[in-house]
Amino acid sequence: MGYLATTNFFEDREFVDKWLYTIRTGELDLSWMKAGTEKVRPHVENPRRGLIYRDINLGSYGVEAIPEKVRLNRSFAPRGAEIPEGVPDAQPWVSRKSELWAHNTDGYYEEAVTRQWNATTDIPWDRLEGVELPEAAGKALSQLMTFLTEVEMIATDTPATWLPRLNPDFIEVKAFIAAQVMDEARHTEVFRKRALTTGFGLMKASPMNEMALKHLRDADSFSEMSVALHLVAEGNVLTLFRFSEYLSPTDVDKKIFRLVMQDEARHVGYGMQHFKWVLEHFPQKREILHGHLDEAENISFAGGAATELTESFIVLAGGGLKRENIEKGVRITTAFQLKQMQEHFERLEKCGMPERSSVDRSKLWAMFEMGKAAAAEAGIRF
Amino acid sequence: MAIRFPSTDYFNSLKKLMEADQARFRRLGFIDTTFGVSVTHNETSRDFVLTFEVFELKEVREVEKIDIAQVDFVIAGDAAVWRDMLENIRRNGEADAQHDLNTLAHFGEALKVSYAEPEGHDKLYRFMESIQEFFDLTSQIEVGF
Repeated sequence: MGYLATTNFFEDREFVDKWLYTIRTGELDLSWMKAGTEKVRPHVENPRRGLIYRDINLGSYGVEAIPEKVRLNRSFAPRGAEIPEGVPDAQPWVSRKSELWAHNTDGYYEEAVTRQWNATTDIPWDRLEGVELPEAAGKALSQLMTFLTEVEMIATDTPATWLPRLNPDFIEVKAFIAAQVMDEARHTEVFRKRALTTGFGLMKASPMNEMALKHLRDADSFSEMSVALHLVAEGNVLTLFRFSEYLSPTDVDKKIFRLVMQDEARHVGYGMQHFKWVLEHFPQKREILHGHLDEAENISFAGGAATELTESFIVLAGGGLKRENIEKGVRITTAFQLKQMQEHFERLEKCGMPERSSVDRSKLWAMFEMGKAAAAEAGIRF
Repeated sequence: MAIRFPSTDYFNSLKKLMEADQARFRRLGFIDTTFGVSVTHNETSRDFVLTFEVFELKEVREVEKIDIAQVDFVIAGDAAVWRDMLENIRRNGEADAQHDLNTLAHFGEALKVSYAEPEGHDKLYRFMESIQEFFDLTSQIEVGF
């Protein structure tokens, strides 16, 4: 037992007597009715949308009431409640707003709630009955699904790890992260189901990919985790999902990728807004985040270029294992990899870190420049 | 009677179908985005701005030229590509694996997606299934070109 109550209530005579006294007399204390909290009257701004978090963003309950450093609430008390003496110190790791806040967090959460889907019933699995993919394409698709299942399991674990560490005053962020955990669990499910329905079973785990995933899981701070997970990894995965949709051999696969990309784009949206927020409100973190990005880019470059992923894309894009198929597949996959890097730097620039688009600041940018030159020489456009 | 594409009448027909099929679009969730559709024929473009809010298409306007800073993204393409996509939807009841929006736009070979801000660009993907199913409603109307 990691935590013991400060009192043994079974042996606390006064506590037991009070319990029995209430049963016998019906005499109530009612001190909780005098809670010194604000009375508000929320209004539904748009009945089509319902009562959203933004409608209850009022006074001491609102997000503007949260100070940069939350010192008063270290318990599980909801923001705006009266906090009496005696609540336990829940020891949250993250009590600084700029460490996790993002513009529109509540909006991303509300969107997530309404855009949930069901991997069991929203995918027309029955349409796969009788679909036999050629062996190379089928194995490549299954390898891609194996890789993505591996990715999504850690994408579930990582935000879940941080949930209890966040101060309860940041309720909108906690809600968004909880919704993300559900999204990622569903992605794990849908990719596993699709791998097995190819008829080729699961294929091989990827050491390079797992190294990248471990980096995500073991970040030192929430901001570092968010930069590595939401911005770098999920930004890359969003481009990857769009590419996978483009390559998908059946309309069932298309539907899967369209649905997962919606969730992923929402996570990237939060990641971008948080990155902007932390750069603007906690400028001292800029260099720390540069350092974390150096490693995140190193690892995502390795994960993105992992043999198990790159080769399965080449086979799917080229349509087989003949020389002309491979040549076509390499051209298309290279265009995708360069597009992925381009979009990564676009996002960083828009978030307020344009200096990474330089060989002096980012080794990934140097790889991007090298890759573009090689692609131009080979006549590959992206 | 066939509704001509491109036109505000075409988009308003889909708007009505979207409103009539609320259960389906509520199931897909909030869609909050404003984007442009540009259809080029003989080097002349007809441009439209579509504003989606909550579960519906709130407004469609034909404009002289789309101001990219005022929209999340623009999907642009030759009239022949749009026609091919819409005829495919009419034949299949929905876009097939070669004619859905992401496939046509991914490398900008058939349709091209442009944007001023990456966050705007990402909205195409945040609401992809709703946008695809909105265009798939074309299967329920007669379209002329």
